[in-house]
Amino acid sequence: MTLLAVQDLHVEFATRGLDNRLRVAQALNGVSFTVAAGEVVGLVGETGAGKSLTALAAMGLLRPPARIPHGSIRFEGREIIGLSDRELEKIRGRRMAMIVQSPLTSLDPLKRIGDQLVRMQRVHDTAHGAAARTKAEAMLAAVRIPDPARRMRAWPHELSGGMAQRVLIAMALVNDPALIIADEPTTGLDVTVQAQVLDTLRDIVAARNLGALVITHDLGVVAHYCQRVAVMFAGRIVEDGPVREVFSRPSHPYTRALIDSTPGRIAQLGWTVTGGTPPDLYDLPQGCLYRDRCPRAATACLAAPPRIAVSGTHGAACHFAGEAA
Amino acid sequence: MSFTHVLGVARRSPTFAVGFGAILVFALLAAFADLIAPLPPTQSFPYETLRPPGSGQFLLGSDGNGMDVFSRTIHGARYAFGIALPAGAIMAVIGIPLGLIAGWRGGWVDEVLLRILDVLRAFPTIILALAIVAATGQGFLNVILVVGFLDSPIFARIVRAEVLALRNATFVRAAVAAGNPEWRVLLVHILPNAILGATAQLPLRMAWAVRISATLAFIGIGVQAPAPEWGAMIRQGAEYVISGEWWVALFPGLALIAMVLGLNLAGDGLSDLLDPKRRATGK
Amino acid sequence: MSLGGFLWRRALVALPVLLGILFLTFMLVRIGDQDPVAMLAGPMADAPMLARIRAELMLDQPLLTQFWAYLGRLVQGDLGLSWQGNAPVTQAIADHLPATLELVTLAVGIGALVGVPVGLRAAERPNGWFDQASRFGSLFGFSLPTYWLGLMAIFVFFYLLGWAPAPMGRVSMMVTPPEVLTGSVLLDSLLAGNGEAAWSAAAQLVLPVGCFAIVATAPIIKHTRAIAIEVMGSDYIRYARACGFPRRIIRRIALRAALVPVITFVGSEFTSLLAAASLIEFVFAWGGLGHWGLNAILLGDFAAVQGYVLVLAIASVLVFALVDLVVLLLEPRARA
Repeated sequence: MTLLAVQDLHVEFATRGLDNRLRVAQALNGVSFTVAAGEVVGLVGETGAGKSLTALAAMGLLRPPARIPHGSIRFEGREIIGLSDRELEKIRGRRMAMIVQSPLTSLDPLKRIGDQLVRMQRVHDTAHGAAARTKAEAMLAAVRIPDPARRMRAWPHELSGGMAQRVLIAMALVNDPALIIADEPTTGLDVTVQAQVLDTLRDIVAARNLGALVITHDLGVVAHYCQRVAVMFAGRIVEDGPVREVFSRPSHPYTRALIDSTPGRIAQLGWTVTGGTPPDLYDLPQGCLYRDRCPRAATACLAAPPRIAVSGTHGAACHFAGEAA
Repeated sequence: MSFTHVLGVARRSPTFAVGFGAILVFALLAAFADLIAPLPPTQSFPYETLRPPGSGQFLLGSDGNGMDVFSRTIHGARYAFGIALPAGAIMAVIGIPLGLIAGWRGGWVDEVLLRILDVLRAFPTIILALAIVAATGQGFLNVILVVGFLDSPIFARIVRAEVLALRNATFVRAAVAAGNPEWRVLLVHILPNAILGATAQLPLRMAWAVRISATLAFIGIGVQAPAPEWGAMIRQGAEYVISGEWWVALFPGLALIAMVLGLNLAGDGLSDLLDPKRRATGK
Repeated sequence: MSLGGFLWRRALVALPVLLGILFLTFMLVRIGDQDPVAMLAGPMADAPMLARIRAELMLDQPLLTQFWAYLGRLVQGDLGLSWQGNAPVTQAIADHLPATLELVTLAVGIGALVGVPVGLRAAERPNGWFDQASRFGSLFGFSLPTYWLGLMAIFVFFYLLGWAPAPMGRVSMMVTPPEVLTGSVLLDSLLAGNGEAAWSAAAQLVLPVGCFAIVATAPIIKHTRAIAIEVMGSDYIRYARACGFPRRIIRRIALRAALVPVITFVGSEFTSLLAAASLIEFVFAWGGLGHWGLNAILLGDFAAVQGYVLVLAIASVLVFALVDLVVLLLEPRARA
């Protein structure tokens, strides 16, 4: 069952410079993908490709100056765009929960861990009082926090980064949502802790048949934890499909460059992997946005490439996607 | 800097535009005071004291000495700039290098600066200024020096904070890593950016300088009547307020407020214009 | 950390600052051109008499020796003699301090009651009309000279409208003042059940407190707004939104987070207004510590100036310690 269906999503930012001229940055330019129950989808790409923006849009969290001129986001069959704050509040944290990047600064510094988990349930009216406390403690145990009864009374500043990230996972899961969106959930954690946290997340998602969208710039994370992957570049999805397929037969030159630049299995892509910079979002060129950096660029690339099916559910937005590499 | 650019800045920050406009008006008043003022500021008409506004040659009335309040108020702008500009210059000359060294090097300079700031925090500057001017003599030059020196550590703190923030910026670390000599990094990379950040504070500090020098004059320390200084004029007017001659104190007070408000608005608007975070509000 | 340890550490930090301030003031009043001896002795004094007074005051000794002797007496609670009225400085401080505290407490209280909600409201929609208006208002308040505001208020409310009593002191000369207990005429009258005096004291308070409160409110608005905007942009507020918390709850989280920095700021505001009170007291002939200290500075009354500055410095140390204590109670991170 499809939980989240994003269709041709556009997001732009209107800003004014010192000279008061309006400048529009086209941050997302037609993003489409789906997440179904029981599947983990990876959204991968370099910094600035629009991954986090996609997540924020899906949660209905975009604020001016960001706006959505075009596109559709359906969650559990319901259109998210245009919903009122009040309706969105009923979905966020309840049916669709987010795990954010900076766990230590994201928890309310003035409330104990247990109280924050209880508040999460009380606000969404899923449990109250003693029942909520029991559930909170069970959740801490489920995310493998040792001695959960004691941690219930801990303050956020007393936690390590990995511990705080587990608490965020517990916060996300405590209301039994259908979809989890994890935005770079392991940034800033030690490699071993990263693996532990992600293992925990994967096991819970599988056990509860949740859908999950994992945003990362780490291909290793994708290879280990995701079933499907969507590769983003300059606000577009350039390739998507089952992880095995995409990794064994990358059909977009950008995906290929990403995989080639991976040392061993774990790649940390802080920025551009191949030569050149991302295109100027304020002044997008026509046609394929990757053209300037692409080894295969040809005159055909002056026209925008359609998504070409490579096999089954695997496809790439490249004029040459069907050809052998 | 074209006309449309100026217009753009004005629309981006009306606050800055209004404040800057007010300062400009006062600058013109100060520059051409002799031409604009109908009477010499200290010419006394002994038989025409405390005339209300609009009577005869006194547009805004006359004071207890029979001097023209309007002319005196206009000439007061000279004292305002006479304190704001040199005090600002002293702050910049002392504060910028001090803040630069304290922020970049740390060490004893930083330690001393922080201790001085501790003392200043617990020692209200107005009282300190009063005490120093009272002790060292009451000339205008003295007031300028005291106000400028007193505010220098505060300006240094602002620069220091900018430097501390810049010190860990990637472009600075890159410059250091690339093998640039320290003085070069400091002068080429840190200084311009730190000054840019501190610039917005300069009008605010100048506003403080104008205010405090007027306060000193009001108390009777510093510039003395009959010099046409706003604070001294308010002091002269104070005794007439309970007998109903309001104009002697009102107009120099309004001028003082307008000037200080202008500087404050300009500083506040400037910090908006220079703050990249606030630029991203497209409306 | 225990309370005792906390206070001990505060004292250790405060001591050098206090010493520094004392030393600075001590030197400052002595480099002046006023000759206290001539003032003390009066016009009839002859040379040997002047020399005797000079020796009595230790003014013939090196400055450091004088300072050391001053510290020695200070430790015993002796701040010396004030030449205004020839009274011990400690006595004069005890007499004048309550009037100033009354004024400043009321002004800061009103300033916080008005300024904090306005600042919070302004931060809710940065650059909205309310924000712009309150921002201009607070900048305007920043630019108002207290003394001028006081003079204009006297003109309008006393001279023109006749609503306010004459700006002469803290209680009308027509009523019998109550016995001094707390030092606040208003409180003392209420305690004594003296309705007439209480009414008069309250009436005398309105204008100076009103003017002072306007000046006190401006920085509170500005800082509350800045603090609230910073809190609203923090990771935990963004996360609270992502958790689907309604506005009411997000506002509560933000308020709770802003409380500590706002309290800290209001505390520092209190200490700076304690000094600024001298001007408003001057205009309203209030006869408080500020007025007394101002006169001391103008007259070159060494011991009184030192005592005045010492009181201000101690007050600021105390207020900051109190603020830190409150922060300690509210802020789990500070308890670590």
